[in-house]
Amino acid sequence: MTRTAARKTSRWTAIGAVTLVGALALAGCGRSDEGGGAGGDSAGEAIDDSPATGELTVWAMGNEGEVLDELVGQFEEENPDVSVEVTAVPWESAHDRIATAIAGGETPDITMLGTTWVGEFAATGAFEPTPEGLVDESAFFEGSWETAVVDDVAYGVPWYVDTRVLYYRTDLADQAGVEPPTTWDEYTEFTKALQSAGATWGVSLPPGGFDSWQYVTPLAWQQGGDILNEDGTEFTFDTPEWEEAFTYYKSFFDEGIAEPRRLEGGEIEQAFINGEVGAFYSGPFHVSLLLDQGGEEFADKFAVTMVPGADSRTSFTGGGNLAVFEDTDNRDAAWKLVRWLSQPETQISWYEISTDLPSVQEAWDDPTFSEDPYLSVFGEQLQDSKAPPAIPTWAQVSAVIDQELEKTTRGETTPADAIATIQQQAQSIGTGK
Amino acid sequence: MTLTAWLFALPFVVLFLVFMAGPIVGSLVMSFTDMTTRDLQTPFQVDIVGVDNYVRLFQDPRFLRSLLNTFTFVVVAVPLTMALALAVALALDKGIRRFRTVYRVGFYTPVVTSIVAIAIVWRFILQPDGLLNGFLGLFGIQGPDWLQSTTWALPSLIAMAVWRNIGTLMVIFLAALQGVPREHHEAAMVDGANAWQRFWNITIPAMRPAILFSAVITGIGFLQFFEEPFVMTRGGPLDSTLSAAMYTFQQFGFGNYAYASAASYVLFLAIVVLALIQFRLLGRKED
Repeated sequence: MTRTAARKTSRWTAIGAVTLVGALALAGCGRSDEGGGAGGDSAGEAIDDSPATGELTVWAMGNEGEVLDELVGQFEEENPDVSVEVTAVPWESAHDRIATAIAGGETPDITMLGTTWVGEFAATGAFEPTPEGLVDESAFFEGSWETAVVDDVAYGVPWYVDTRVLYYRTDLADQAGVEPPTTWDEYTEFTKALQSAGATWGVSLPPGGFDSWQYVTPLAWQQGGDILNEDGTEFTFDTPEWEEAFTYYKSFFDEGIAEPRRLEGGEIEQAFINGEVGAFYSGPFHVSLLLDQGGEEFADKFAVTMVPGADSRTSFTGGGNLAVFEDTDNRDAAWKLVRWLSQPETQISWYEISTDLPSVQEAWDDPTFSEDPYLSVFGEQLQDSKAPPAIPTWAQVSAVIDQELEKTTRGETTPADAIATIQQQAQSIGTGK
Repeated sequence: MTLTAWLFALPFVVLFLVFMAGPIVGSLVMSFTDMTTRDLQTPFQVDIVGVDNYVRLFQDPRFLRSLLNTFTFVVVAVPLTMALALAVALALDKGIRRFRTVYRVGFYTPVVTSIVAIAIVWRFILQPDGLLNGFLGLFGIQGPDWLQSTTWALPSLIAMAVWRNIGTLMVIFLAALQGVPREHHEAAMVDGANAWQRFWNITIPAMRPAILFSAVITGIGFLQFFEEPFVMTRGGPLDSTLSAAMYTFQQFGFGNYAYASAASYVLFLAIVVLALIQFRLLGRKED
């Protein structure tokens, strides 16, 4: 009896101690009014033209992480006193690793970033704003430059770009006697015609789920709609443009043009090659995948075209950015490497190594791109492509769009209710400022 | 004397404090703040918001949905796994004579196979033109698109989880079955008890500790149901397979650290409550 009581007492003492420690830890808390991070940051000194020196660590993800070594070898040749170490980080863990590095103060000098992460990490104050005069802003595609800008301050530069175009079966289109679509009306007719020529589904669209916002958002952009208002303070989902975008997207499922099923990676190529799917949206990497899997003769059976549109033919753009950390010990060399990586010549050799598309417009004048039947379309599309706003809460807001879009295509809600819900939830999540 | 004891315990105590107790207390404290990604560099400059996060959690229909899904999963999958594992263990203990090792390995393999490989195989089984629907087709039944149907996605994942976890419990039950004293069975047989009566009155009571242990570890494991939805459905379609652990993971991914910590403490409390209930129901009766 006494023993149990004693044990109980000591347990309560332990809990008390824990609470006390917690309270003490919290006593030092409280958000300062200035609110660190993005906003008040001003760019550091300009970067001169002298050769880079010292050591640099660069984090890069996926394929880029594996082949970047080859490219920076050239930088090291041009700048004999610099040594660059590339660390490959898998995409799946990259977001968390950057977050952990920032929290622990153990950041590399430079990191590659998914374009949609800039807003979130810039808000921590871990990135240095791009120095004045380092690069010419207008040299980049407008849509991708904006991915690096948070509250009018640029953090790093866009490194490579990615955009979606429409892949379609030319043989089916010829058989049905239709031309690639430029408007929404033509687009519906076109996909129906592909079905009449033998495709089970005119176009493949995800009915919802992870990242399906990337398919519906361009439809709103094409009518002049947007995610945020002009000064970036309020969400604008409850607008006629968004309702129209949802209605139009849903029509593909209602009319039986698109399969109400999400094709996972690997399924879409096969369905397109065997003619089950007449058209789909994707980035540049699908060209080589289709040529590999469909064989040489398949090259005559498909083509790419700019996405059809309403007022504009805007597509979605993503890609990778480069950012320099505030904590870097070798600031000048870091920015020199970033500047070098955004030179047109570097970006052309980078394409040859990695097949990443240049973010700098001038590089596209090179015959590698301008004379390629596929790449030239991507170049054209990049002139009219847009990225979501660089706000810290975007991942969370976009998940709501994914969710409501799925409810809409499954007929569980109407476009009007869906956008009302998105607006209401987005407002409660906030823009993170 | 005491000092020496502490000295010997020191390696464990230090590791425990730094890597276990520290983070646990840290995340508990964090759940009462408004910490998000923006505070990564200045983790102590956060505001204390009391139980706000917990209140918000219970106002979030997605979190409530995830609790319901998790609850359904545990209530269906725990008894199902235990019953099937017991059946398999009995069959291997008494019924099956030939190829016993082959069966044992066969039932245990899913436990040690990587979830990634399992996901690929189960996709082949569950896709609309997959093995399962092909099999149903033989009887003229048109099966649904299992993983993308709001009705069938959760049952599909339950089936998968049960299949993955039978092996562990089977091993525990086999060991327990072999520990049931022969004499008790013989005595019961002398008294004229049939096989069913002996199973119910001798085998089961003798296995009570093993059953309790299995119920607790399976219950705890299943409450943290995560891998199956993560690799198969990402919580979809329409959150029908969103588990509480999956929801917490998503919130961490969004950078809502404080909110996600609160969600994980709700799950932790649920685990404690479940374990207490199981001990009460299945624990040794007080003499």
